[in-house]
Amino acid sequence: MEAEVLFYIHSFPISKPLLFTWIIMAAVSVACFLLTRDLKKVPRGAQHFLELAVDGIENLVVGNMGPEGKKFVPLILTIAVYVGISNIIGVIPGASSPTENLNTTLTLASIVFLVGHWAAIKKKGLWTWFKGFFEPYFFMFPINIAGEISQVISHAFRLYGNVFGGGILLSIIYMVAPYVLPTPLLGWFGIFSGIIQTAVFTLLAVVYIQVKIS
Amino acid sequence: MLEIAIIVAAIAIGSGIALLAGGLVGIGEGYAAGKAVEAMARQPEMEGQIRTTMILGQAVSESGAIYSLAVVLLLIFTVVLPLVNRLLELL
Repeated sequence: MEAEVLFYIHSFPISKPLLFTWIIMAAVSVACFLLTRDLKKVPRGAQHFLELAVDGIENLVVGNMGPEGKKFVPLILTIAVYVGISNIIGVIPGASSPTENLNTTLTLASIVFLVGHWAAIKKKGLWTWFKGFFEPYFFMFPINIAGEISQVISHAFRLYGNVFGGGILLSIIYMVAPYVLPTPLLGWFGIFSGIIQTAVFTLLAVVYIQVKIS
Repeated sequence: MLEIAIIVAAIAIGSGIALLAGGLVGIGEGYAAGKAVEAMARQPEMEGQIRTTMILGQAVSESGAIYSLAVVLLLIFTVVLPLVNRLLELL
């Protein structure tokens, strides 16, 4: 399941997911720069879209975590934009979703995990956070640890499995019927399923952080 | 050679059985979606919250199918493909 290495910069291997991550990063950075250059009090044109996205994520986060969740909005919005674009980019011929690789999704899930625990320590203090692993009884400690680990794994594998499974099915369809038939399936797996999985990944990130800090 | 063929065949059968989890999860998620539609028809003003809860519940219950998919992918990509390559070399 190793990623295909395209070329080397010195001895540093550049794989396909890494290259497309950089492309997405560049595209999002340029888009952010262009869209936020002159913001108006009364929105016009592309600013509507921007405010819709920011408001939507803010409502989701604040609705789940309360006003203290406001500091997580940038992180959640970044995850949503990155996962959304990288799911949809797979529709373009020749391009492949970075989320088709387990390393990408595992990294994202680990970020959510670490941020959740960091916020929990900051809010409750180190001792209360540590004592939380021994709830409700002290011998539940191994089960709680297993639960924490399996949460990261299921969070990462959900996105990876859906995108990768769709990709495998599509490549089989390409082999059997290369014309016409793949188009609606590409729309289904690439766009519809991609957007749903983005929503699920974002929602679960919010819920996992909220469970840890409450 | 026969041993390798038997291993590959057994893994293929096992993978198929493991993916039954997908079908079972499909039943569960369909049931959840049906219940959500009922709730939305009864209380249309709660639509947004019901949809969020439904997607969250489905995502969590999907874990079982995702685990089985992960196991199958691991089996196929780390065990079966090298074995098949060796089998082709032997032939």
